Amino acid sequence: MMHAPADAAAPVVRMRGVRKTYRLGAHVIPALQGVDLEVQRGELLALTGPSGSGKSTILNLCGLIDTPDEGHIALSGTPVQGLDEAERTLLRRDALGFVFQSFNLVPVMTVAENVDYPLFLAGVSAPERRERVARQLAAVGLQDHARHRPDALSGGQRQRVAIARALIKRPRLVIADEPTASLDSHTADQVLDLMRERCQAEGAAFVIATHDQRLTRRCDRVVALLDGRIQ
Amino acid sequence: MNGLWMWLKFAWHNCLRNRRRSLVTASIAMLGTAAILLAGGFAQFTYESLAQAAARDTGHLVLGTPAHFSADEDVPLQYGLDDVAALRSALLADPAVRAVLPRVVFSGLISNGDKTAVMMAQGVEPDAEFAVKGPFLTLQEGALLAGDAAQPQVLLGADLARSLKATPGSSLTLLASTTEGAMNAMDVVVVGTFSTGVPDVDKRAVYTSVPVAQQLLATQRVSSLGVFLDRMESTAAARERLGQQFAPLQVQTWEQQAFFYRSVRDLYNRIFGALGVIIGVIVVFVVTNAMAMAVIERTREIGTLRALGTLPAQLLRSLGLEGMLLGGAGALAGALLALGVALLLLLFPVDMPPPPGRSVGYPLSVSVDPALYLLTMLAMVLLTLLASLLVARKTVHMPVVDALGHT
Repeated sequence: MMHAPADAAAPVVRMRGVRKTYRLGAHVIPALQGVDLEVQRGELLALTGPSGSGKSTILNLCGLIDTPDEGHIALSGTPVQGLDEAERTLLRRDALGFVFQSFNLVPVMTVAENVDYPLFLAGVSAPERRERVARQLAAVGLQDHARHRPDALSGGQRQRVAIARALIKRPRLVIADEPTASLDSHTADQVLDLMRERCQAEGAAFVIATHDQRLTRRCDRVVALLDGRIQ
Repeated sequence: MNGLWMWLKFAWHNCLRNRRRSLVTASIAMLGTAAILLAGGFAQFTYESLAQAAARDTGHLVLGTPAHFSADEDVPLQYGLDDVAALRSALLADPAVRAVLPRVVFSGLISNGDKTAVMMAQGVEPDAEFAVKGPFLTLQEGALLAGDAAQPQVLLGADLARSLKATPGSSLTLLASTTEGAMNAMDVVVVGTFSTGVPDVDKRAVYTSVPVAQQLLATQRVSSLGVFLDRMESTAAARERLGQQFAPLQVQTWEQQAFFYRSVRDLYNRIFGALGVIIGVIVVFVVTNAMAMAVIERTREIGTLRALGTLPAQLLRSLGLEGMLLGGAGALAGALLALGVALLLLLFPVDMPPPPGRSVGYPLSVSVDPALYLLTMLAMVLLTLLASLLVARKTVHMPVVDALGHT
């Protein structure tokens, strides 16, 4: 299954008039109320706001794991409306990376296997995968932990593995949901440095939902949300 | 290949996550497989034993007139065979035929002068009958019939001998209707007593020689000819061939004559078939439960893998492989267990009690049939695959957001 080629000049993400509501029993909760947003290539964008302001919804929509009720979303100029679930899955596989608050590493895989997984899914040959995994682990300073299981690592190390996993396939966009929330301040700084460095090195855009002031200060742009609207 | 190896490795590691649960699941599959193989092996051994006994009793094929197989006689040997010597020669010319034994089946009375009993008698060719059929009865006293005996001899069922207070050397009188309908009597000497293991038969059974039987019945006919082949597998082809050659006479197989064999096979097929279904259902339930727990525990991880770009079909394959590994490991262990039990029974024989209506037990044996082993293991693997897919189907198609938010 093929999806449209990326337009290098287009923003990595373009959202226009995006609305999203959730139903909770009889209640209809507006999560996003007409959001316009663009994220440029290599940009480190922070989404801030109180809980329920719509940060995670934007991440889910950008990450193609949810669909808007209204509005348009394009990734690198490619509209994502009308893509079926399989096409969205393959687009995620090829163009997106994810960093989760609680790391979400696969516990039965080694560090190297976790980082290798997206390349395996993409059908990259085994020799190339080995080489790229080794390089990526070296880039995040975990080359000596390749054969370790995630539960043998500290929180910071796990998040480094998650970042390596998100960046291994050189995605256009990395979605990061509270990537420093589970880390102490020193480790959070290290992870931030790493994200910044990898963002510049790989040219990937980062969209980060966070409450962490230290993180927002070091992002290229901060978008504040309140009640599903950009402030 | 590399992809399959990766999924297999992933599935294997997932099986090891909760070792106790996996062990229990595989153990149920093991016990289920072993139970099916042992029950199936026992049934197969029983079928083989009964088939051999039936073929040994009647011959692999029985040649007779059509009426002999379908109609009731008004007088003895009304539907018997004439010109036995010519038929026998023609039968022996067939390359698959090892021996041809004539048989005169009749009923009558047997008396010791004081007491008279009903007998079910067979006239046989003593030397050939006991040589070809082997140890089909247990001689309790005396000797077998002799082919060249100077005076008429009989071999009595043990219970009949006891009833008539007859021992080897005793003189008795046989009474029967001749083929003309008149009564005839003949003095005979008891040479031995035997047991077939079936008390009802032992109360009535009498063996004598064909000439004695023919003399008593005043005929040269025999009831039928038992045809013994070189091997069981030749039966169908020989029946076809000889049936055409000897038309209008009819050729029946041992199986058509073996009511007991067919009854036991039908009964066992139903009992063990039902047992197999029950075991299969139990295995499916256990695997379904184990996989359901595994899938529920890993819903968030499944969401992560979906977010990373894993297709539902790929996840289904992984979870299916997981179930197949558990089922496959259990099936393999079950097959080894069944094989071990079958070998142990050979080394340390266990006797079963006599079945209803019989007076002797039989050794408990379990056949090892590669086809049964292969099919059972394959069925077990397929069942566990099916159970895994059934459970995993819903979760792998769950919206990614919901799966990631699962707690």
